[in-house]
Amino acid sequence: MIRLFVHGACATPALLLLAGWFNNRLGVDPEKTLIWESGIWTFNLLLVVLLLPIVANWTQWPTLHRYRRAVGLWVFSYATCHFLFFITFLLGWDLARLGEELRERPYIVFGFCAWLILVAMAATSNRAAIRWLRKKWRVLHLWVYAAAGLAAIHYLLMVRSHYGWAGTYAGIVILLITARFIRVRKRRTARDG
Amino acid sequence: MVRVTDQSVYKRRKFIAGALGLAALGSFSTLRYRGRMSARAAQAPSDELTIEEPAPSTSDHSPINLAERRITTKYAATHYNNAYEFGWNKSDPAQRSGDFQMRPWTVTIDGLCHRPGTFDVDDLMGTPFNQLEERIYDFRCVEAWSMVIPYNGRPLRDILAAVEPMGSARYVAFTSVLRPEEMPGQASLFSSLEWPYVEALTLQEAMHPLAFATFGVYGDRQLPQNGMPFRITLPWKYGFKSTKFIVRITFTEEQPPATWNLTNPREYGWYSNVYPDIDHPRWSQATERRIWGEGDITRMPSRPYNGYADAVAHLYLGEKKQYR
Repeated sequence: MIRLFVHGACATPALLLLAGWFNNRLGVDPEKTLIWESGIWTFNLLLVVLLLPIVANWTQWPTLHRYRRAVGLWVFSYATCHFLFFITFLLGWDLARLGEELRERPYIVFGFCAWLILVAMAATSNRAAIRWLRKKWRVLHLWVYAAAGLAAIHYLLMVRSHYGWAGTYAGIVILLITARFIRVRKRRTARDG
Repeated sequence: MVRVTDQSVYKRRKFIAGALGLAALGSFSTLRYRGRMSARAAQAPSDELTIEEPAPSTSDHSPINLAERRITTKYAATHYNNAYEFGWNKSDPAQRSGDFQMRPWTVTIDGLCHRPGTFDVDDLMGTPFNQLEERIYDFRCVEAWSMVIPYNGRPLRDILAAVEPMGSARYVAFTSVLRPEEMPGQASLFSSLEWPYVEALTLQEAMHPLAFATFGVYGDRQLPQNGMPFRITLPWKYGFKSTKFIVRITFTEEQPPATWNLTNPREYGWYSNVYPDIDHPRWSQATERRIWGEGDITRMPSRPYNGYADAVAHLYLGEKKQYR
């Protein structure tokens, strides 16, 4: 039941965008809307993934931990769409230009690196990989915090003049990383003491 | 019939100008005309001014009539705008400009000119709105999208010449209106732009026949999202140089500041001419996405000076980088 709700909620923005695309309801520049919205929803769901353990702790509802993988795979899907939209609409699949853009434009490098981390995580999100990588798996999946940091910088570098939203996202990422740090420390002192 | 200005026209224009030039040799006086611009300000009763047409040169570029050309739909051009005064979203200018008062509207022209004054915008038009010239210009945004838009107005130089710039004037500064109570973007706390918006041109650029004093688009003057009641349109430069909501024009000797250039000089040059081979640090300017209508978009290569190189390249001698 909860699983159904989680997938339904994660799929809703994508379905709305899909419907908007076919009904011509994405504004004058629907291509830009798609790029923009897929990026924002990547970020939103990424923040949800990072929030899940915190909320699970607060509410004493450990079941929530289980849905990190489901939401995480949605993050990867939105990020991949975001990247594909960018290549299609802004570069027109001119892959020579992709190399050039990656070399010259830092915001693309940050976004691309964040996506590579998500690829690695999605590829190792099955049980076999967990068994195979063991301890390394945990370390690999801690990189989600790096992905969030990269995404925040990626967004900040996009802004032309209004820093409100990009700043808010960056602030939330900093808070979440700090919270994670404190959590680990507490656990360590509890264990060692 | 519409008036258009693009490369092919320009070439034809040269031919026509040559033919006309021969015919006009005997009647040179037809190259002069008298323009009227009345002033409401008491201190500047410049009610009737004689405007002398600058001597025509081969680089002169005036628009002439041409058959229909594909233009961007009015809906797209009026619902996809950058006017940060109303917000940073492309839909904000159309949605959040409801409180904006467009009349009365006066424009103060001052600085190094012989007939400064404050003029009502309707007087700056010089003719009734529906008799203004219509020009179809390619409009290129620095964000690498473009549209083809019919503008209603008159050459900016008609207005500037009427107040008689002094010999010492080298630049023309434009100031936009400051009304945070009517323009929610100006009231926003998160904007890194300083208000009011300021822009500037060299006098030579401002006097160029392509520089267009604009009072409406698509024959419609009630469009604050497009910079009305009074803006300028400079088709060979990135869109942000085409100052909207102008309330003041000042002739100066020193180079005046320009808002985007002040905000981020690395990304926005003072001249901001369209040079496809000089990228914005964050994105390429080599191509543009031409918006024809809602969801009707084609990618196309960008052109030097946005396609108006024949008309304006002579203004920019030497290293192109200094005119970015």
